[in-house]
Amino acid sequence: MNKKPSRLSYFTSGIVVENPVLILMIGLCPTLATTVSARDGFGMGLAASFVLIASNVVVSLVRRFVPNSIRIPIFIIIISTFVTIIDYVLQAYQPSLYKVLGVFVPLIVVNCIILGRAEAFAYHHGVWDSFLDGLGKALGFTLALGVMGIIRELLSAGTVFGFAVTPAGFRESPVLFMIFAPGAFLLIGILKSIVNRLTAKKEEKA
Amino acid sequence: MNLNAGQILLGAFLVNNILLMRFIGLCPFFGVSNAVGTATGMSGAVIFVMLLATWVTWVLFHVVLVPLGLVFLRTAVFILVIAALVQFVEMFLRKNMRALYSALGIYLPLITTNCAILGVTFLNIDYGFNLLNATIFSVGTGLGFTLVIVLFAAIRERLADAPISRSFKGYPIAFVAASLVSLAFLGFAGLFGIAF
Amino acid sequence: MSASQSAWVQGRVWMVLSLVIVCIAAAVGLARVYGVTKPVIDQQKIDAVNQALAAVLPGTDHFEEQVPGELWYGFDAQDVRTGAVVRVAPRGYAGPVETLAGVGLDGLVTGIVITSLKETPGLGLKATQAWFRDQFRGKPAAELKLDKDGGTLDAISAATITSRAVTNGVREGIEKYLDRLLPAQPGMSDTTGDE
Repeated sequence: MNKKPSRLSYFTSGIVVENPVLILMIGLCPTLATTVSARDGFGMGLAASFVLIASNVVVSLVRRFVPNSIRIPIFIIIISTFVTIIDYVLQAYQPSLYKVLGVFVPLIVVNCIILGRAEAFAYHHGVWDSFLDGLGKALGFTLALGVMGIIRELLSAGTVFGFAVTPAGFRESPVLFMIFAPGAFLLIGILKSIVNRLTAKKEEKA
Repeated sequence: MNLNAGQILLGAFLVNNILLMRFIGLCPFFGVSNAVGTATGMSGAVIFVMLLATWVTWVLFHVVLVPLGLVFLRTAVFILVIAALVQFVEMFLRKNMRALYSALGIYLPLITTNCAILGVTFLNIDYGFNLLNATIFSVGTGLGFTLVIVLFAAIRERLADAPISRSFKGYPIAFVAASLVSLAFLGFAGLFGIAF
Repeated sequence: MSASQSAWVQGRVWMVLSLVIVCIAAAVGLARVYGVTKPVIDQQKIDAVNQALAAVLPGTDHFEEQVPGELWYGFDAQDVRTGAVVRVAPRGYAGPVETLAGVGLDGLVTGIVITSLKETPGLGLKATQAWFRDQFRGKPAAELKLDKDGGTLDAISAATITSRAVTNGVREGIEKYLDRLLPAQPGMSDTTGDE
């Protein structure tokens, strides 16, 4: 409720209170499509994080020179530049991860979180604040994808990051359902209902 | 790939449905699937722009970007083309086709950031389709988008009146419903030997 | 009037100019990134092929491409034939399943590996699982059939389409090149050679 939110809150708000995925419900496509395993979920999260943080910083750097009427095309060019960079870097140095993420790497460019933060935050704030904002939102996004990935991998393969953590019997006949599309929808539905319940409790207390 | 037109159409329409199987285009899916009316309006706009975008980006990629060795500009060029296209379509409809504009107009601005459009243009290139196959693919995808979003809007209209526990109201129950619908679509796997 | 007009023109000019500057900066930057990563990506693909080839035909030192992208002969360090590798890309659930199959001089499969799988996330993914691949080892091409199709190989549950695609693809691929996979029979070595 302060007039001017503290710098730290730019960073922390993205992680829990304004978590892009679980609270704001944006960026759903990669959240569901690329969280087959913990590695894929975190990998996708980090790739999008790079784009989000870098575009936030650059948009903030150039914001004084960008005419208001063409700011959106310029944001899009900046974002797609970073998307292409991460696209080629992943292809070159993480080919197996790239193979799994596939078309969702270039599709980072239409991730609503990134253009949304450029427009709503970075265009009006300093470089340092924009960096913190990007970092916080990126962390929230990555954590949400990572959690999805960990749960789906645990249930569908009995492993986490490829390490066996369940008895051999479970790993032989795991809950294969969780690897498929319906499993992804079901999991995010359950996670969202838990979030709803927690926020409702908080509001009752307040 | 030696796919015939029917396989591409059915594959894009049902077997690998863009929303339920590929997970592309989910934001508008959950955003506008509250009512059947808005769902059909949105779908119409999506099919229209998807087809235009497919033609423009396919030609640009194969006639301009590849010969000039500029394939690394693909992402930037495609998204800008789609953004510009949406603007032009909106202007054109407002001036010349008022009836269509009043039906689709409000959905057009939302389409720029609709990953279904961009996703289809990327997939057309990745699958190595020729222009005819790309057209068929994008029509099939658009129809698949329409089918699911309209089906789903009907389900959600019912859900709105159903007694649902408070923490599941809204998004969570929509996800659970989506899970069940996509479970049904899983049954199309391998239909007629379609596999791409 | 003219002052506001010139301001308007200036604004327009700056609008176009800034767009052009951003576009050029982005294009130049991307060209550099592309220039740096492209050789790595290409090398990566070659390495991946060589690694996969070596994995399906153990004891091989180097490979010679016979049919581009489809057939390789393997040789050990003394340049003695160790066998051959066939590459097939049968259609799986959501796209071609590129598979390499090694065949020893006795005509038996020495191993298979799935190199690229454009499947819907999850579906059929387990075809890369070790136990499925291990079933192929030591079998002649004719025996490569799923148990559901009257053969002996177990399909991966929930990934029958992919399992069948891989199994049939490997069998057909080997049969296609059968005459070139086996070394010259003793006594008829002059009939093969380099045709």
